[in-house]
Amino acid sequence: MKNLLIKEFKLAASPLSYFFLAFALMLFIPGYPILVGAFFVCLGIFYSFQSGREQNDTIYTALLPLPKRSFVQAKFIFTAAIQGIAFLLMTGLTLVRMFTLGTSKVYLENKMMNANLYFLAAVLVIFALFNLIFLSGFFKTGYYFGKPFIIFTVAGFVWIALAEALHHFPSLEWLNTPAPENMGRQLAAFVIGLLLWCTLTLLSYRISVKRFEKIDL
Amino acid sequence: MSDVLQAEKAALPPVLEVSGLEKRYPAFHLENVGFTLEKGRIMGFIGRNGAGKTTTLKALLSLIHTDGGQIRFFGTDYEGHEKEIRQRVGFASGGVNYYPRKKLKDITAVTKRFYDSWDEAAYRQCLKAFALDEEKKPMELSEGMKVKYNLAVALSHRAELLILDEPTSGLDPVSRDELLEIFLDLKAAGAAILFSTHITSDLEKCADDITYIKNGQIRASSSLSDFLSAYRMLEIPSGVPVPDGALGVSRSRSGASVLLRAEDAAGLEVRPADLEEIMIHLEKEKEDE
Repeated sequence: MKNLLIKEFKLAASPLSYFFLAFALMLFIPGYPILVGAFFVCLGIFYSFQSGREQNDTIYTALLPLPKRSFVQAKFIFTAAIQGIAFLLMTGLTLVRMFTLGTSKVYLENKMMNANLYFLAAVLVIFALFNLIFLSGFFKTGYYFGKPFIIFTVAGFVWIALAEALHHFPSLEWLNTPAPENMGRQLAAFVIGLLLWCTLTLLSYRISVKRFEKIDL
Repeated sequence: MSDVLQAEKAALPPVLEVSGLEKRYPAFHLENVGFTLEKGRIMGFIGRNGAGKTTTLKALLSLIHTDGGQIRFFGTDYEGHEKEIRQRVGFASGGVNYYPRKKLKDITAVTKRFYDSWDEAAYRQCLKAFALDEEKKPMELSEGMKVKYNLAVALSHRAELLILDEPTSGLDPVSRDELLEIFLDLKAAGAAILFSTHITSDLEKCADDITYIKNGQIRASSSLSDFLSAYRMLEIPSGVPVPDGALGVSRSRSGASVLLRAEDAAGLEVRPADLEEIMIHLEKEKEDE
């Protein structure tokens, strides 16, 4: 697994995957749908799939002394690694926003989503949607990625709109507290997001392996 | 001493045994493909474009799914032992065609991590022998150098069998000759090579065995000398009828050349056939024959 990850980072990845991690900083922007930052992280990962395809990464991997599913494994661990780095970065920045800037006027008056534990859960749902829709869609052919990415984009923005809308419902205001309040309920939301990410990613991996095994290279 | 060596060689399982290999596409059918390659031999896999050479080679390493057949490497079924077998087999389709903008040294640094038997000294030796500059990127290499890089990688993980899909196509005559000499050196070192080509002169220089594929079916698989001695060429002037038993006829300005089986050529003024003539004439064989 370590060697596969090294192959992804050293040979197949696009630098844009790393550059787009900087979009995590969007969570400091008040009056902006900050979940879009998570979408950009996924877009960065998409560029690595594009870069891999252009460089015949599939055939290189297929000729290594590895089972065929290793190619799928490599892409999943790379995706999880980038999402993991982005998530850790966002978690750190969210804690800064909650604990040091939580009472700041711009965030208290912010009509859009604030960065808190619920925001982190919503980020995990975007990542899970990417893994479920884009990754398993890509491994249908191991080549075409346009359609799965468009479907992910639509699903991702529907989720962003929904996640942004939820806290405007009277009983759900607690989802949007900028400071460390309602931590228990928000933590529950966070755990649900984490479970969704794990479940959907694992499901997508299984589907992807099955699909990729059927492909002639 | 040579008897002892021969006995030892006979005790070893073939490097590659293929039998009953099938692959069905809507417009093409690879049918009952079978051949055997022994250690220390070079086999030329010939056939015209679209005959099924690449499909067969890809099927050997499960790059495509097959609809039947058995593939054994070093006496072991490929299925279930892919990882161990891949360690001992080098495969290249032409030259290096991946990561065109990465330096060779970066590609190698990753590749070698996957091979248990990577021999860095052998790799350095290959780079020197092939005059490969590790600082270069695949996109900066000539076609010949791209093939040589693939060979260098295969040799550095001590591949005992090299499966090469048209390694000489796109090379100039000098580079082709150099490459064929490398094949002979590898053979002398005990490696077996299976390479597809439609350039028959490559085979005359270095092949021990020939496997000929036509329309997805193996038409012959034997030693080069047996293959050549099975056919004869007959030249006939214009207007003279083609004799019975003709396998294929190719017209020329002054008449036609006819390929015959050696046993059908008794009493006729024939000459030995070369590989190119055999291939051209067999491709002109009537479909019902």
